[in-house]
Amino acid sequence: MTDATYEIESIASENPHAGWIKLTMGLGGVVFLLMMIFGLIMRAGQGGIIDLDPVIFYQLLTAHGAGMVGSAALSGAAILWYFVARHVTLSIKIYIIFLGLFLAGVVFILGSIFIGGYGGAWTFLFPLPAISGGAWEAGAAVAFCVGYLLIGVGFLLYYLEMAYNISKSFGGLFGGLGWKFIVNGDSKTAPPPTIIAASSVIVFNSIGIVFGAIVLGASIINLLIPSFAVNALLAKNAIYFFGHVFINATIYMAVTAVYELIPEYTGKPWKTTRLFAIAWAAVVVFVQIVYFHHLLQDVNMPAWALATGQIISYASGVPLIAVTVFSTALYIKGSGMKWDLATKLLVLGVGGWGIGVIPAMIDGMVSVNKLMHNTQWVPGHFHTYLLLGEVAMAFGFAAWLGRDKSSQDQSGLDRFAFQAYLAGGFGFVLMFFWSGASSIPRRWAVHYDEWQLQSQIATVFAAVVILATTLFVLRYVEIHFDERNTPMVHLETDEIVGIEVLSSGEKQLFIILGEALLQEERPVVFISDEPELSLHVSWQAALFEHIRSLNGSCQIISATHSPDIVGSFQDRVIKIEQCIRDVH
Amino acid sequence: MQTTILIVSLILMAVVGVAYARAVYATDGPPAGPGANKARSALLWGMIVFGVILSVGTLREGVYDVAGPAPMVVNVSGGQWWWEVDTYEIPLGQEVEFRVTTEDVSHGMGIYTPGMTLVAQVQAMPGYTNKLVHTFDAPGTYQILCMEFCGIAHHDMVNEFNVLEAAE
Ligand code: HEM
Ligand SMILES: [Cu+2]
Repeated sequence: MTDATYEIESIASENPHAGWIKLTMGLGGVVFLLMMIFGLIMRAGQGGIIDLDPVIFYQLLTAHGAGMVGSAALSGAAILWYFVARHVTLSIKIYIIFLGLFLAGVVFILGSIFIGGYGGAWTFLFPLPAISGGAWEAGAAVAFCVGYLLIGVGFLLYYLEMAYNISKSFGGLFGGLGWKFIVNGDSKTAPPPTIIAASSVIVFNSIGIVFGAIVLGASIINLLIPSFAVNALLAKNAIYFFGHVFINATIYMAVTAVYELIPEYTGKPWKTTRLFAIAWAAVVVFVQIVYFHHLLQDVNMPAWALATGQIISYASGVPLIAVTVFSTALYIKGSGMKWDLATKLLVLGVGGWGIGVIPAMIDGMVSVNKLMHNTQWVPGHFHTYLLLGEVAMAFGFAAWLGRDKSSQDQSGLDRFAFQAYLAGGFGFVLMFFWSGASSIPRRWAVHYDEWQLQSQIATVFAAVVILATTLFVLRYVEIHFDERNTPMVHLETDEIVGIEVLSSGEKQLFIILGEALLQEERPVVFISDEPELSLHVSWQAALFEHIRSLNGSCQIISATHSPDIVGSFQDRVIKIEQCIRDVH
Repeated sequence: MQTTILIVSLILMAVVGVAYARAVYATDGPPAGPGANKARSALLWGMIVFGVILSVGTLREGVYDVAGPAPMVVNVSGGQWWWEVDTYEIPLGQEVEFRVTTEDVSHGMGIYTPGMTLVAQVQAMPGYTNKLVHTFDAPGTYQILCMEFCGIAHHDMVNEFNVLEAAE
């Protein structure tokens, strides 16, 4: 089929794990949407637009926090798995176990909140789960912790499988991290960007999850045996270490979509440079010691820890802004990259991430933190790098998965959805910053009258974000789950069309050649009557050769009126006229 | 102070955002020239140097506010969902050392001015006494709001005290 105008594309047959990844992204998208609606309800409650019972508010807050962090982690994990599988062999069984444990965890968490009434926030700060003031029983809090543990175990299995296979192919984890390459500078030993990202996340997030599991275990024991007490400051350190690392890992996993997909649009590889590898090495270190900035108001912490919190908060922004954001801009400028929903969202994701870290760096300063800690400034910065960062990357990846079908008729809607997401998202986070600067505390179910304007405007922006997200999700669900695997035709003009627009001759070719392709070289006999019907003469001449080039083990028997169709096989023709004459 | 923080943050975010957006929009323009790598190094080193100066400048005097020789001690204790303060009248201009404890879960003591601006805060943690040093420079009724989520009535956990001009 070398000179053929058409290329038969069975949708995304590229990646062996594509089916599971698509399912995961679909689930993640729906949960993101649902959790956004929870967020909208909370913001509307804070704005006094609706009358929201505080008990429900704190349950929604707990569900929204855990659900969003969970969906970000799930979508990040799906993206990372998909792209790591391009470089090393991974066992899909492990992925399925991971997904199963994850969903089991979700069942426990949702049950604990909406059946058990647990409303102790996603951070389960010791000893709040055990001392609810009558709002929930210990059992509900235990169920919540067990849900987290199931998800954590799934992630550890996931990372173990990845670590093992990366180590095998890239000379140990240090090879995969690119640390060997940093030392020897030999570009032949440079692992691809995705492998560096994967190895880094494996290292820090596994450590984070282990600490999380320890403090979860301790919390469970405390819930069951209240006399078993834990040091509250120690528990807080462990929780924030785990929480900070885990939420950051979601973005570091998702960014591999940028490394892998943007080059498909520009034709330029995303190269591993030494600077790139060093920036990732810095991330591995910084992400583990930066969590001290969550404890700047805990004056019993040693001074060095608080100073570290401030210094590393700043330092964490340096590789992100000066390397990731700057290099992405350099790479895309003048690349001729085509903009579609996928590229727009991926590029937004890097920008939102880079912009969102700035108010975090500022809040990491001890003097600022005294005024901004636990105000809505904090949801301001993390919504910026999650909503406009991780989530944008996730929907960008999802849009890319469905790219075949979207190019023509949906582009207007895509454009609208993107603009709404962008405008709604920025407006929404801006209101949090304004709220933070107005000293409005975070996690308050009821806001005083003079605080409500910000929440009211934010509610409108949130509704716009939700509208845009609904469009992303509908588009995705429609593409992947409504239709069977319909084949698509990729025209020379880069357009992608359904087969129904083909002429009858083209359809016939599609069927014949498609059939030959699907035989996968099995020995078959191909019998046809007048296969030349509605075919152009040039195609008639080449048809049999093409069939045989797709399946060399086939025998073709055909009745025809066209002398052209046999092409170069003239010596194999049996002329019926001759046969009849011979009989007589 | 909060307004300054907001404006500085928004400006920095806008600068990074606009520079990034301009570069990525120019997909059809000329690619980045050879000067771009230099610019990246300059940005990298610029941020590092600025960070060192900023860190030394702001951390030189330590991370905690330490009380002078004669602070007024105010004991604050928190619980689900109340604050108890042992002095409800604080003289203006007097250095105060709040000693904050909790009887149950973690709370956060945030001090709000009569105009509802947060001026200082510290955590209250089971098993610890956390000190917060502050000198009030305006009279009026100040509020204590809870800054650390502590359960279903977290937003009701408020109290107040007065800062009084010294009677001559
Ligand atoms: C339309 C979109 C969204 C809306 C309306 C929304 C709304 C909210 C609101 C009102 C809060 C509580 C703020 C407060 O403490 O007073 C919140 C907290 C939070 N949101 Fe969102 N959010 C949205 C998207 C997201 C996304 C995309 C993520 C992450 C992927 C996210 C993660 C979180 C987290 C982790 C918290 C903290 C929960 C806690 O304090 O325990 N949100 N959100
Ligand atoms: Cu509280």
